[in-house]
Amino acid sequence: MTVSDVPATVLARARKGDSEAFRELVEQHSRSAFRLAYRMTRNEQDAEDVVQESFLRAYRHLGRFEARSHFGTWLYRIVANCAIEHIRTRLARQNRAPMEPIEKITMPTSESPGPDRLAESSGVRQRVDAALEGLSPLERAAFTLRHDEGRTIDEIGHALGLRRSAAKHAVFRAVKKLRVELRSLRAEG
Amino acid sequence: MKHYVEDDLILYYYGEARNRAAIDQHLASCGECSTAYQEIVSTLAVVGHLEVPERDERYGLEVWQRIRHSLPVQEPPFWMAWLRPALAGAVVLAIGAAFVSGRYWPGRDVPAPQTVAGEDPSGEARERVLSAAIGDHLEQSERALLDFVNTSGDSVDVSDQQLTVADLVDTNRLYRHAAERAGDRTVASVLDELERTLLEIANGPSTMTPAELEAVRARLDAAALLFRVRVLTDEMHEREIAPAQPRKTT
Repeated sequence: MTVSDVPATVLARARKGDSEAFRELVEQHSRSAFRLAYRMTRNEQDAEDVVQESFLRAYRHLGRFEARSHFGTWLYRIVANCAIEHIRTRLARQNRAPMEPIEKITMPTSESPGPDRLAESSGVRQRVDAALEGLSPLERAAFTLRHDEGRTIDEIGHALGLRRSAAKHAVFRAVKKLRVELRSLRAEG
Repeated sequence: MKHYVEDDLILYYYGEARNRAAIDQHLASCGECSTAYQEIVSTLAVVGHLEVPERDERYGLEVWQRIRHSLPVQEPPFWMAWLRPALAGAVVLAIGAAFVSGRYWPGRDVPAPQTVAGEDPSGEARERVLSAAIGDHLEQSERALLDFVNTSGDSVDVSDQQLTVADLVDTNRLYRHAAERAGDRTVASVLDELERTLLEIANGPSTMTPAELEAVRARLDAAALLFRVRVLTDEMHEREIAPAQPRKTT
């Protein structure tokens, strides 16, 4: 998270169970937590749930937070893992229904659309969402952290509690799956 | 001419390839790799970047209002959590020693004493510590298994993962024995299944083909092991904080 970290005294008070001090942490880090949660879940309500759950979890484990670390970095890790669990739960709830086939759609051929214009198309967006739904929660998380959050492979490993090789391969698998699923869009584009 | 594999090109796209200059040069002269790279570029362009709905400056306060009445009890500091497995290990050893000497669990011909919940507070505390330690062990095992099954490639070196898994085998065995002796069949059964899998990975080949990895994944899926480990982890943590229940004897 890019927010500058809170004073050590606030953290120390929060670690002793001072809820007012914890409020300061929540106020300072909520927006960045939401951004990450939304990018990972791609759903506003889910992102709200993840933000709340993450702060509750952070409060519970605050005693284990190492004061020499940055609270923002620690919280980032909690939000990322919370989002993965949320996606897993959502997938389980959907009873692993087969992914809708990604049909070919007609793209304008008279001019070459730029990436922004492609992304704005709701048809394309639906198919991209469907393709991302086809990734495992871990692949999706690793991909989001790399692609949208601009995190390095090492940072992804740290955030998700994975070895570097596992983080790297999660990103590789995600890109390969997306390449296959979005082939028809590329062909038309 | 040495071609680059897709993995190299993905890292290159994200600016993390170590040999960037060499790949630059190669892409300029190799049509095959250049085409593969363009496919990656166009796929990721189609994916685009998600626009995040804005949250204003009051958002933090709104979140606080929603959670302030649900704040949980804080868990003990890190050093206590570090001590906990060590303490649990000592408890398990003590239980094992007592079992061997026949003082804690009576022989078959001796009727078992009736225990009443709340009569033995030290026993409750010991059980909670043990539950917490088993919960921590299961979490570590889940992470290690996920790390293993998420590796991929044409020929994967899994020796790092094997070292981690091998460390978990001995601990797992200790907890499984304790669960068996305590007559906790649910815990013993999951730990038994887990131990077989951990052993299989630890003693397997250090370089695996995609087919071999897929076979391990399929066995894990068939046994729903990761799911069972996850459920048991939650149960162990619940036992850690819940009031002690009378134990069924077998």
